Amino acid sequence: MASIALNDVRKFFGHHPVLHGISLEIRDGEFVILVGPSGCGKSTLLRMLAGLEDVSEGEISIGGRVVNDMAPKERDIAMVFQNYALYPHMTVADNMAFSLRLAGAPKAQKQAAVARAAEILDLSHLLDRFPRELSGGQRQRVAMGRAIVRDPAVFLFDEPLSNLDAKLRVAMRTEIKALHQRLKTTMVYVTHDQIEAMTMADRIVVMNGGRVEQVGRPLDLYDKPANLFVAAFIGSPAMNLLHGEAVAAPGGTAFRAKGGGLLPLPADRGVQPGTPLVYGVRPEHIELAASAACDTEAQIAVVEPTGSETQVFMTLGSDSLVGVFRERVADEPGSTLRLRIDPARVHLFEPSTGARIDAAAASTSPIREAVLA
Amino acid sequence: MSDATGIIERPAPLASRGRAPSRRRPKAVGGHHRNIGGVWPVLVLFLPPALVLFTLFVILPMGEAAWYSLFDWSGYGAPEDFVGLKNFETLWRNGAFRTALTNNGLIILVSLAIQLPLALWLATLVSHRIPGATAFRLVFFLPYVLADVAAGLIWRFIYDGDYGLVASLASLVGIATPYVLADRDYAIYAVLAVVVWKYFGFHMMLFIAGLQSIDKSLYEAADLDGATPWQKFRTITLPLLSPTIRLSVFFSVIGSLQLFDMIMPLTGGGPSNSTQTMVTFLYTYGVTRMKVGFGSAIGVVLFLICVTLAFSYRRVFMRHD
Ligand SMILES: Nc1ncnc2c1ncn2[C@@H]1O[C@H](COP(=O)(O)OP(=O)(O)OP(=O)(O)O)[C@@H](O)[C@H]1O
Ligand SMILES: [Mg+2]
Repeated sequence: MASIALNDVRKFFGHHPVLHGISLEIRDGEFVILVGPSGCGKSTLLRMLAGLEDVSEGEISIGGRVVNDMAPKERDIAMVFQNYALYPHMTVADNMAFSLRLAGAPKAQKQAAVARAAEILDLSHLLDRFPRELSGGQRQRVAMGRAIVRDPAVFLFDEPLSNLDAKLRVAMRTEIKALHQRLKTTMVYVTHDQIEAMTMADRIVVMNGGRVEQVGRPLDLYDKPANLFVAAFIGSPAMNLLHGEAVAAPGGTAFRAKGGGLLPLPADRGVQPGTPLVYGVRPEHIELAASAACDTEAQIAVVEPTGSETQVFMTLGSDSLVGVFRERVADEPGSTLRLRIDPARVHLFEPSTGARIDAAAASTSPIREAVLA
Repeated sequence: MSDATGIIERPAPLASRGRAPSRRRPKAVGGHHRNIGGVWPVLVLFLPPALVLFTLFVILPMGEAAWYSLFDWSGYGAPEDFVGLKNFETLWRNGAFRTALTNNGLIILVSLAIQLPLALWLATLVSHRIPGATAFRLVFFLPYVLADVAAGLIWRFIYDGDYGLVASLASLVGIATPYVLADRDYAIYAVLAVVVWKYFGFHMMLFIAGLQSIDKSLYEAADLDGATPWQKFRTITLPLLSPTIRLSVFFSVIGSLQLFDMIMPLTGGGPSNSTQTMVTFLYTYGVTRMKVGFGSAIGVVLFLICVTLAFSYRRVFMRHD
């Protein structure tokens, strides 16, 4: 087991920068997931942790030792590759025992280690097979078994589930999480699937374009996305983001979208009329208004029932809006839906920087001070 | 109760057995018809040309050679002087032929023991994406592109004791100029050197292709598993390259047995037959001396050796490929 620390880590391929100064602390035993869109540098960062890529600048330490110049095998890590990288000419048992064989371990030790890993992963009946004789999910488990046999201080996973079908992916998600709870080893896991990240991680690192956008626990990212990128990336279906500005309204300020819709603003953010804003509200936080009192009205464009809930694509003025409702929506496209939005669940962002406008910022805002005075 | 069900059940399979064929037969026959309908046009269209060509250019000449090998015949007129297996007997008694056999064996040995490891080693070096690798690949491959006759001529000049490269080198170092190709004991080694030089590039290319088809992440996994470069070579490269290696060995052996056009300009099989191979021997003793019957006997022996080697090799080593 080991903690990991990254200090202003940079990576250049030639002159082309790929990582622009990543700093990160990963605690001993933590399950951290790096998530971000394709090409944002997740794999590169993971491979730098593994020692498969050089560190261009900055410092990586594992278990308190700086590992920048250490060979992969000296780092006490194991990695599960996206394509599993199983040795095709070796049986499952030989694949898993390979590291011990290289180290010249006695036969009994190899057998014991393989048997233990096989039991954890339910592979005992497959030990004599070759990788080509296994299904995708079984190969995936062998790749994990090979890592477990090493008993490393850190597990690294690079999109281990991306080659599996949807159903198996969900099952393996649970299995990997259970594995982490059983082994309690530090795990760093890369995925571009935010649902995978949300369901498995202790903490998520959201990356974009070679930078860290936000680090936090899954629900913190969901509740308080630090910027527009995280807001749009985390959550499914994605958060509605409307551009517009604050306007004076009866009883305070409201938000007027560029498309014309009028939406309620939370009072505690202290935005003044005329301030340009990006207004964010998650589809699941839009409700159907029960009584005549509603916050806004939108026209139905498309209704997609999934059974347990209904996803409705709407137009608000000339903006589009997505809502997910518990209720069944029987109305025809074109008809009007009356909506309620809890202002406390609204996210506001600065259009220029994309940064979140928080209630905390309001404590120093002139309006709040004026009210207090 | 159980008895009753047993009685009731027993006839059932019989009944279904009786019915089944009548139900299945039309279907099966129909399927057969359709199948034949699909295969016949292909057979009719494609088999005769191939069969005719094969008979005309492979079976007939071979049969003819086998037939001529039983005669003492100069090639003029009809073969009349039937001598049975005497040509084969003479052949076996001929010292030059035994030298040729030994030389062929030596060439195979050198191909396998020196040329292939050298090609593999260079392939592992050159298959990396290092700058200049492509240039090296090209340089190493160049000898193979050269016509065999041209290569033989070039090396004849290089080895020349009066104005060749070897002569200049020797005079530079200050030792007596060796006449390599004129020396009965050394000429064959000079030939072997040229063989290796000429063909290692081809095997290197085979190995490069084989190496590039090995998944790079296997090496990364092995790095993480703690493998040294040698361990990676032995436990990953070699086993995964073994189909290519077997193919390369196959080409080496067959190619060695057929070696001819490079040796003719280089030594012509001399001095005093010390560099004969089976094919140069065939040419020298069968063709240039107008002993078509004897030459045919050599051809038959050579053919049998090749076929035996090729088939047993394919059966034993390449059956999984
Ligand atoms: N060996 C390399 N040489 C040059 N550029 C590279 C190399 N490897 C990666 N890159 C570049 O670095 C960037 C990040 O790549 P990386 O593989 O880390 O992305 P990723 O976040 O893992 O994406 P994905 O989700 O598609 O796997 C990409 O723009 C890629 O083109
Ligand atoms: Mg990747």
